[in-house]
Amino acid sequence: MMSQASGYVDKPDFKSRIARIWVNVQKNRERYILVLPGLVWYAIFAYIPIYGLSLAFKKFIAKLGIFGSPWIGLYNFRNVFQDPSFVESILTTLIINVGRLIFVFPFPIFLALIINELRLNRTKKILQSIYTFPHFLSWVIVASVMINILGQKGLVNSFLGMFFNIEPISFLGTPSYFRPLLYITDAWKGAGWSAIIYMASISGIDVEQYEAAEIDGASRLQRMWHITLPGIKSTIVVLFILAVGNLMSGGFDQIFNLSNPATIKVAETLDMYIYRITFSGSVDFSFSSAVALFRSVVNLVLLLVADRVIRRIDGSGLLG
Amino acid sequence: MYLLVDAMGSQKKEFGGNNQMKNVKRFICLLLAAVLVLGLVACGGKDSSNDQTEAPDTQNNQATNNNESSENESAEKKYEEKVTITYACPQVVEGFDFTEGDDYVKWMSEKFNYVFETTNIPWGEWHSMLSTWIMAQNMPDVAIYNYGEGTHADAVNFVEQGLIKRLPDDWKTRWPKVAEVYGVTTLGPMLEELFEGTYFIPRARFFYNLPGDPLADHWSLWVRTDWIKAVGKEVKDHYTIPEVLEIARLIKEQDPDNLGSNLIPISMTAGNAARFFLEANSTHWDTFYKDESGQYVWGATAEQTLEGLKLWYQAYKEGLLDPEFYLLQHEQDLEKFQTLGIAGVSYLGGQTADVWNYRETFMNDTGNDPDDMKFATLLGTDGNYHQRDLINYWGAIIFSPDVEDKVFERWMDVMEFQCSEDGYVQTAMGLKGVDWDRDEEGNIVSLVDEDVLLVGPPGEAKYPSLGHVVGSVILWDDLAFDNPNIPEKYREESKALYQNRYDLSTPETFTKVDWTVWTHSTENMRRARSIDYPTEFANIVTTATSEDHLVELYNKWIDEQMSIIQPVLDELNSK
Repeated sequence: MMSQASGYVDKPDFKSRIARIWVNVQKNRERYILVLPGLVWYAIFAYIPIYGLSLAFKKFIAKLGIFGSPWIGLYNFRNVFQDPSFVESILTTLIINVGRLIFVFPFPIFLALIINELRLNRTKKILQSIYTFPHFLSWVIVASVMINILGQKGLVNSFLGMFFNIEPISFLGTPSYFRPLLYITDAWKGAGWSAIIYMASISGIDVEQYEAAEIDGASRLQRMWHITLPGIKSTIVVLFILAVGNLMSGGFDQIFNLSNPATIKVAETLDMYIYRITFSGSVDFSFSSAVALFRSVVNLVLLLVADRVIRRIDGSGLLG
Repeated sequence: MYLLVDAMGSQKKEFGGNNQMKNVKRFICLLLAAVLVLGLVACGGKDSSNDQTEAPDTQNNQATNNNESSENESAEKKYEEKVTITYACPQVVEGFDFTEGDDYVKWMSEKFNYVFETTNIPWGEWHSMLSTWIMAQNMPDVAIYNYGEGTHADAVNFVEQGLIKRLPDDWKTRWPKVAEVYGVTTLGPMLEELFEGTYFIPRARFFYNLPGDPLADHWSLWVRTDWIKAVGKEVKDHYTIPEVLEIARLIKEQDPDNLGSNLIPISMTAGNAARFFLEANSTHWDTFYKDESGQYVWGATAEQTLEGLKLWYQAYKEGLLDPEFYLLQHEQDLEKFQTLGIAGVSYLGGQTADVWNYRETFMNDTGNDPDDMKFATLLGTDGNYHQRDLINYWGAIIFSPDVEDKVFERWMDVMEFQCSEDGYVQTAMGLKGVDWDRDEEGNIVSLVDEDVLLVGPPGEAKYPSLGHVVGSVILWDDLAFDNPNIPEKYREESKALYQNRYDLSTPETFTKVDWTVWTHSTENMRRARSIDYPTEFANIVTTATSEDHLVELYNKWIDEQMSIIQPVLDELNSK
């Protein structure tokens, strides 16, 4: 309500805000009912289980359940940090995931830009489907395919031997090839799917800008650089922040299936470490929870830092 | 959510007003209702019968009549009330009906009047899946626990928390045959003393034909005898590691079957290579043991372990091993030897029960004579056989703490019957009087034709259920010594192999169980047991660029692990 004297608008009080919301809910109750199952699912499977994180500070006794198990403070964390494999796995995780940010993250952007430049809609759609298809393959299948292609008796080595007389190269057994293999397979499998998000963002750019730029004599590359990229900048920023927030996790399926004893030293990420200590021998949920909680906290900190840095540089971030 | 719905509300105008919206609403409601109903219908019924469960017709009436003597062996109980027994273990055949799927299980379920509901546990998740169910207090009535050093700590937790059933104190009197078998497992009585009660009934590998104590492992060298002869070497029943490598070198040089680049002198996974080079040379390579001074030390630091590691490296560098052995998954090494016939040597399980099956597969898949392959004992570089007591058990039977008494007693009766002489033979050979019988001297005589597959997958074998699922307390290794379906010469070979291991070992190289180490279950020990020795050592072998580098990597790895290992040593040495 405007105050004529002061010119300021009074903020509606709490009760009237609730009343307005309630009226809106009544008017749109069918829609609220539609989103309710999703919300309930989120609450049950994402939020309520958060209480299980308390296991990191407890000694889990199955008979007493999570709530009844006794508190032991930071005992699990102390044990976690005493394990040399844990510290190594953190470093390995960071190295691999920073590499993903540098080498894999830009790939779907590049793919989206290229596909966008295609004139024929039909070709665009066909190529989009082709690039998206690998996303639906499981890593088990991808690993089998890689063994057939890159194994010592595989396609690549057979080709090299036949045409260049080169001795078989152990692509899958050489530690220094492991990370490139991860990045290449990740880009091949995931770029098409991620490009969909960027293409959706590109479709929201005003076409008139392109027309105006064309009239002004801008080349394709210039239009891409000055119109398309800035147009999807906000999408890139959001996805980048989310990727930084996942720096300590992700890629378990891929690494589990592509790694082997010869490459284990460069492949044991935090996820692989958690898997090994949880399921090889005695089950210790408290220890695994402590490791998982540590990882989540670090991810959260990285996400907040990335958001803050980008907000300072760019003016807008993920969290407002 | 409010904003989302508001945005959706603003689209209302585009739908052309209230009537259209009402129709949409009605359609969505009907669709949701239909989905819910379909979901309930899909989840509601459980089809326990299966199109794979049809077994060939047998003379069931004859089976019933001729099994009267077996029936007499158990107490003449009448089971008036039908019970449902739930059960889980990795040996359950997925989708097979263990109540009526073949004549054997039909006979058993009618005799003991039960319905048997089984769940398969994937081999790789045997311990983790079952432990999760136990801790969730949601385990089936009966399950097989993968008892071992690594899982003992969890077993202690389960007992302390009352998560598995304690058997009644008089169980040995009520089920004496089960108690008798339980007594020879070593583990059973030890656990009973430890837990002050019986919670686990280990399944015995041997009862009637126990080869010896400590119990020798069935893990053996598999060798191509035709290739060994072709390269001018002697076919023996035992070889040292260096002798095997020498044979492998000659096979690689001479390539008896002209396989070219497909030839693999020694085919092994990383795990089996660790057994071959390290376990066969250093008894305590992956655990703790008391040295001559009486102090506990870590077996990975023993000289023989490093020696074995060097031999492994040598074999890998010379190309005697599969160049990508680290990529081989479970039984892919077996495939190269047995199915493709391109490997000269492998190191695999050679259970007495399978000595003929393995040869039969080899013969059928490669076209070779079954005697072109042989099992042999692998000796260390010192000429001795190295092994820790296998302990006469594999898996332990456990019961849910919530199991009804009538279900528990019914299953104990089933196990009691399976421990009888005829009951036990039936678990491997089918129904008495139909598939086998005894002659006047009591020897087992097979009644089936040679081309009848008794045991195997549903749809192919007469009795897909035969195995260790239906109440087995004695496993098949024992019967294999007497099973007439296995050619006698191979049974004798198997017996000789076992005897071999006792003759070619010393008490220091073939050791009894150190229960102090075996039952040590502190937090430090748990962490120490999470070390994946085969993977770690395979990594050292594949990463090293020379023998000196190998030793350097090995020493570095030992130093890195000491922060986990030393606390365990301190605990053991303070006991």
